[in-house]
Amino acid sequence: MAALVLCGYCDTVHRRAAFATRKAARCVTCDAPLYRGTGDLGAMLAATVTAATAFAIANVLPLLQLTSQGQQTRATLWRAIVASYDSQLPLVAAALLLTLIVAPAIEIGLLLWVLVPLCLRTRPPGFAGTMWILHTLRPWRMIEVFFLGVIVAVVKLSAIATAVPGWGMFGVAVMTLALASLSSFDQGVLWHRADEVGR
Amino acid sequence: MIRGADVGLATCATCELVVNLGSDGAPPDAAQGEAQGGAQGEPWRPRALCPRCRTPVRIRKRNARTHAIALLVAAAALYFPANALTMMHTEQFPVARDDTILSGVVFLWERGSWELAVLVFAASIVVPLLKIGSLGFLIVTTARHSAWRPRARTKLYRVLEVIGHWSMLDVFVVALLTAVVQLGRFASVAPGPAVLPFAGVVVLTMLASASFDPRAIWDRGLSRGLSRGLSRGLRGGLRE
Repeated sequence: MAALVLCGYCDTVHRRAAFATRKAARCVTCDAPLYRGTGDLGAMLAATVTAATAFAIANVLPLLQLTSQGQQTRATLWRAIVASYDSQLPLVAAALLLTLIVAPAIEIGLLLWVLVPLCLRTRPPGFAGTMWILHTLRPWRMIEVFFLGVIVAVVKLSAIATAVPGWGMFGVAVMTLALASLSSFDQGVLWHRADEVGR
Repeated sequence: MIRGADVGLATCATCELVVNLGSDGAPPDAAQGEAQGGAQGEPWRPRALCPRCRTPVRIRKRNARTHAIALLVAAAALYFPANALTMMHTEQFPVARDDTILSGVVFLWERGSWELAVLVFAASIVVPLLKIGSLGFLIVTTARHSAWRPRARTKLYRVLEVIGHWSMLDVFVVALLTAVVQLGRFASVAPGPAVLPFAGVVVLTMLASASFDPRAIWDRGLSRGLSRGLSRGLRGGLRE
């Protein structure tokens, strides 16, 4: 059965062919992407570590530097969240916390949990469950939308203050790119490796 | 073209393993194959547990059309308050203003960043409408077993999947502005009553397109029993 692939969009049966590039094989009936060529676990781990580092930078360094009437403020993600919580805006604080800190932290953490043991050729505990969580969370990843949101916010802020993007924004940008590059890897590779190294 | 449902094959929704739903080693008896593997009958009923990840394997998504319709109607209803109510309240002494989504776009335009204005207009106003309209179109055409350009309709569905979450843009902008301005104390920004219905539209349309099953676009042949004889002939060959 491993030699066959069903198109997820039109249910056409295909025979899997081996090829080396990361370009996607496409369905002959509906042209939807079926699967990708080799997925390099080492490269996936590298992208995840990059995302983790960038995530730390995005959390610690200021996203924006605001100047208004000679008063300067550095806005880090955490301070912005705490400030909106203190100002009786718990929903805003919760939304930002969930999408920008909790969700990426869970995704990066689980990816490391899966990738590090697989690269060392052991099967991580709770592999199937972890993969299920990753699979379920993926459509709800909003970090790239947030990145664009900061840019729009800077322009809107320019009406009331001078806003300059800080190094935290660089962290968000790199994390966005690293996580996006991970989606271009075939997740099936993880399952194949896990099957190889046994239960 | 051989289809998975014809030959008793299905993909595990979680780990993408191709699972043979025909009973192991049993002869490919036609009646049995129909009961277990055919797209007619109850293709959403779980047929087996995936041998790899232990999640139920179905031939088609469960109650796909009903769920998609319900979520889509809810999203369409929320679209009106989301656009009519205030999205963001700004105060910088002595000026106070209430912005809906549309007036926020106009504000961006007037500040000279027309690129961002177009972007926000597309993400916040066009994309939700497009999603509601096209998903409604897909639901109606599949319910009528339409044969109209299935390839183009599949492509439309894939576009819906990709653009789905970009409409959250305005929610992030409001949340960010609110949070950041709290730090500066030189002005005040507060989210308006439109934020929740707006976020609701985005989440509901995302759920609606996720619950729709694009394979229904291609199922019209099956529902008319066209490929039945063909598939029986092929079933034996694929079982090797």
